[in-house]
Formats: sequence, structure tokens, C-alpha cells
Amino acid sequence: LSSLPLQILLYVNGIYYIFYFLATLAMIIYKSQVFSYPDDFLAPDLAVLFLMALLEVPQLYLGFKGNLTEAEAPLGLSLGLTVGSVVLCMYLLLWQTYVLQADVLLNGVLLMAYGLESGLKVMAIAAFVS
Amino acid sequence: PADTRDAAQAGVRSAPAPVTDVSRLCVCDLLVAQCDTNCCCDPDCSAEDFSLFTTCSVPAVVGDSHLCSQKAAVYSLDVEANPPERIFKLIDQVNPSIFCIHATNYKQALYLKSPEIPTSENFDELLDKYGGATFSAEPDSWNLDTDMQNPPEANETSRYEYGLPVQTEDAFLRLPSPVVSSWCSDANPAGFLVNQATKCIRSVSVEKCDSIQALSMLFYINSSILASVFQVNITVQSIVVQSLNGMRTSLSSSEVLRLPVVLDELCINAVLGVNYHITHTDTGEIIEAAAAFVLGTISKEELSIEQSFEISFTQENTQPVPLSGNPGYVVGLPVRAGFQPQGYPFPAASLVASLALSSNKHSQLTILQSTSTQDCLTAQGARAPVLFGYNMISGCKLRITAAMKCQPLAQTLLDVLKGQSFPEFVASFGNSQAQDVLDWVPITQLHISEQMISHTLQSSCQIPVSLGIEVKWTKYGSLVNPQARIVNVTATITTSTLKQLPSGRERIIPITSSVVFTDISSPAEPSYKAWPTINIKLPFDFFYPFV
Repeated sequence: LSSLPLQILLYVNGIYYIFYFLATLAMIIYKSQVFSYPDDFLAPDLAVLFLMALLEVPQLYLGFKGNLTEAEAPLGLSLGLTVGSVVLCMYLLLWQTYVLQADVLLNGVLLMAYGLESGLKVMAIAAFVS
Repeated sequence: PADTRDAAQAGVRSAPAPVTDVSRLCVCDLLVAQCDTNCCCDPDCSAEDFSLFTTCSVPAVVGDSHLCSQKAAVYSLDVEANPPERIFKLIDQVNPSIFCIHATNYKQALYLKSPEIPTSENFDELLDKYGGATFSAEPDSWNLDTDMQNPPEANETSRYEYGLPVQTEDAFLRLPSPVVSSWCSDANPAGFLVNQATKCIRSVSVEKCDSIQALSMLFYINSSILASVFQVNITVQSIVVQSLNGMRTSLSSSEVLRLPVVLDELCINAVLGVNYHITHTDTGEIIEAAAAFVLGTISKEELSIEQSFEISFTQENTQPVPLSGNPGYVVGLPVRAGFQPQGYPFPAASLVASLALSSNKHSQLTILQSTSTQDCLTAQGARAPVLFGYNMISGCKLRITAAMKCQPLAQTLLDVLKGQSFPEFVASFGNSQAQDVLDWVPITQLHISEQMISHTLQSSCQIPVSLGIEVKWTKYGSLVNPQARIVNVTATITTSTLKQLPSGRERIIPITSSVVFTDISSPAEPSYKAWPTINIKLPFDFFYPFV
């Protein structure tokens, strides 16, 4: 049976991610205006943010598909992409040029969501395999 | 950090590391090893010094307030205690904003950059970057020399705009002019449509005069002007040779190029003046260029000569007539005048009648120009143009002897006062065209005799003693940009009786001429546009069921 909590979490994650992406982009722009933000520090931060957005879309799609069709392959792939997103999220939390308090909050919430999601995905895969 | 690395490599004293600990920072500690008054953070102050303070000039030392939590050193004086003592607290200041910096991975974000210590390796690079008057992020864009040496591209020279340098094969058309001192500088470009006349001094020597480039005709006509798709060669229009005593003769054959040559102890064919005439179309393309030269002779004693250069631009198929305003007269520009050709009645309704205009100075409205000798009879010919808005007065002294005859003297004085060709009409606007006869104002001539006493014999001699030109002008046109328009010109000749002198005696009479400009404009009446009318009408079927 498809996991209902995972479905709810994926749905909420999608909505939250859009907010997260826009907020982080706006804050990077704010930081570049208010603080001294040279181009060779700005480029990696922006690259990581856009890369994370690129990973998020297939991850959510595969998660939905895998959960609804009760197939473990897409769900497994989605789990792999989640790990990548977690790494990038850690980068934005710890190694960004300027980490604001708001950054800490947003990334923290996203990390918690990813963590919960990963756990639910593992349980769902276990349920589907058996 | 970079400082210690530099120190380790070069063994040079490096800049001190920046102090970032707030408890050790003290802005008011200015005196070394001495206690500064009212400076609570000064480490040189003892408890006795603190008891003498009245207040703390620096109450708190805080780092960057953008950080979420930072250390702050707070200093205060406890005046209640006896003796007063200083209280030092190290507290954590919290920035409540959600956009406070939690952490940063960029070391220079919060501190000023330490400047690079010059060493023998990086000295040249630092000099390049910071040695000039200005620094910029891209120093290459400030390199002006490369602009001058870059040859212009073909499509850029297709049409010229006002003020742009006229480009030639090698660089641009040069008009030598004095820059800072009176010495000639060859780097002054001639701007398109900018009529210029310059005079400058060039140092010469007769022995080397054939090697000095600026004295040779070739230097000025060598390169051809770039214009649209082809190049315009500079032709020699005329050559005038000036001899040592100043006499100028025009040469009939101007095709031969005359180069400077050392002859005896003189240098002949040296360029004393160049006059460029450039003809262009109305779209800004140069089609013709000609140069008129004045060649002279330099003697051995002269170490420098004065060269004069002029450039003028003419549109093709037009006669250049300088305007004195567009449309109203501009103060300071000459009043334009002209004659009506014989045979045409005035006012002429036909379009054929027109005024003979010329830019020749002698046909302008001119008045006598005072000379240093102040003698009327020897000063014939020196005339000054009447400039709009400038009231002028000039004069000369006439020495009358017994031998002078009246009639020729009167005629001479009339010539002196009025000039060779006194015009009949004056342009009412600064840009009046010759074919618009109604735009021209006739000059009214009045004769006033000084002595109107009836018993004066008619046969006694009357000589003109003064000419007064009164120009009445008005403000014409819009209220915010009024244009000057000449309405009336009156030339009044005042004559006086010449009394016969006993022989041997002579008298001196002053002769004056003056120009006065009077503003007769009536006060302006501002007029406003009519208020917009509001047309509100109900549609005809508004009350449909009832009407």
C-alpha cells in the first residue's frame, strides 16, 4: 500500500521548496547589495542553489511516482537524489559566504523535512519489496 | 595570513595584524604611555586617574553590528561611589534581526583589507595599478595613447558631426595652436564645422630651416582627409609670398610646391600661415579641401616666428554669410546691412528685387574707429563694425588751417564719418535673407545744423562734425525667449559752420561718431490658451420610456 504520510510530506515539501528557493535567492541578492560580495564568492553560492533546484524536481516527481505506483525503483532513485540535495543543503547552511539567521532557519527546516522524507521512503521501499 | 608570508619571504617588516578583540580596542587612547582624559578604555590610566574623570567619552566598543551575537566592551563611570570608579563589562550583544549574520566564510567581509606591502617583486605591478592620478578596476580602458594610434575604421568616417576631429590618413587634421604657453603645439585637431583661427610661436633656426617639418608646405597638405569611401586630397588654393619688409605678393601659379630653402643667410619659402577651406555637403560629408599658404622669409637673427592658422567650413553651393542671430540679434554680433540694387523701386512686391549682401566688412554698418594719431585726415579707412547692443562712440580731431577749402573738406569729413559705402538698409533680424525685402529696415538719414540762426549766411560753409546712429530695437516673439529685432535706424549728421580763419592760425575741432541702441519694446502681454470647454450632454434616449 502507498504510504500516506510520505505522500503528504512530498506534497508539502514541494510547496515549501518553492518558497525556500525564492527566499534564498532574494537573500543572496540582498547580501550582494548590503555586504561586500565579490563575484568569485557569489558564483559558487548561486550555482549550488540552482543545482539544488535542478535536483529537487526529479526527486519529487520520482517520489510521487514511486509511492503511487508502489514501485521501489523510482523511490530508490528519489532517495539517491535526496542525499544529493541534503549535501547541497548542508553547503548552504555551513559553507555559504554569509550565513544569516534566516538562512539557518530555512535550511534547518529543509534538512528536517529531507530527513523525515528519507526515513519514510526507506520504510516505503521496505514495504513494497516485501 | 598574507602578511606573515610576506615577512617570512622577504624579511621586510610587514604591516601589523589588525586588532579585533573589543576589550583591547580603544579609540580614545591617543597619547602613548599617558592617560587620556575621560577615556575609560585607556590601559594607561590607573584607579586614581579614573576617580578624576567626569564621564566616559567612549561608552562602548562594539564590533560589526551586523553579526547576530558579538562581544561588546561597555565602559561606564560609577559616580555614586567615592572615589568614582570605572566599570568595565564584557557583554554579548545580540542583534535581534532575522537577517543578522550568523557566520561567514569570507574573512575579508568584516575587516578592511590590509594593503599590500611593496617588495621588489610586486613593486612594478603596484606602480602600474596605483601610480597614476586615478585608479580603476580596468586600467586598460584609461590608456589614451592607444586611442590616438588606432587608425579609424572606414564606416566611422562616413559622416562627421559637429566638433568631431577631422580624420586623415595618419591621425587627424592638425591645426597648430598655442596650448599652455604661446608655443605651437601640433596636437590640436581641427573639429568639423568649428571655424578656428589660431596664432602661435614656433622656434626656428635658419641653418636647419629645411629640416624643420612645420615650416614646409608638405607638412600641411601631406595626408589626405578620410571622407566616406574615398580620400580627399588637400589642394593648394593660393600662395602668397611675404617679403622681409612685410610686402605680400600673390603667386600666379599655385601648383608648384615650394619647400623651404636656405639662401645666403635667409630661409625662404617658410610657412607663415595656412588657411584651410573645407567644403562639405549638407549631410556632413567632406568633398573638398583646399589650403591657402602665406610663405615668408626668415632672417638669421630671428629665433622664433609667429605662425597663424585658420580653418573654415563651407557647405557646398552656398555662399557663406555669417548670421548675426537666429532669428533675433545676438548681443555682440555685427549688425547686418546691405544696399538695394539700382533700378528697383521700394517696396518691391516682386520676388526679383533683392538686396546685395556681402560679408565684406566694408559693406557692413561701420563707424569710425579711433586711432592713436587721432587725426581725422590721416585715419581714413580704419573702421569698426557696429555690434548689436554695444553703444559705441569714437572720434578724431580735425586740424583746420586757413588754406583749407570748404567743399572738399566737407566731403572728406562725410567720407570719414560715414565710410566708403554707407549702407541703405539694415536687417531687422539676425538671419534675414537678402531676398526678403520686407525684413530689411531702411536707414533714415537726418541732417541737423548746429546753428539755426537766421542771420547766418547760406553761403557760409557747413561741415559735418558728428554722426549719430540710433538703432531702435524691440523684443519680439515669445515671452520666455524674446528675440531682438531692429525696428528703426536713424543716422543723424550734425553740421556746423566753418568760420574763416585768418591766415597762419589753425583750429582743432573734435569730430565724433556714435552708435546708440535703444530698447523700445512694449511690455509683454502674456496670453494663455483658452480654458478647455467641457461638453456634457446626455444621450438623446436617456429618458427612453418617457420621451
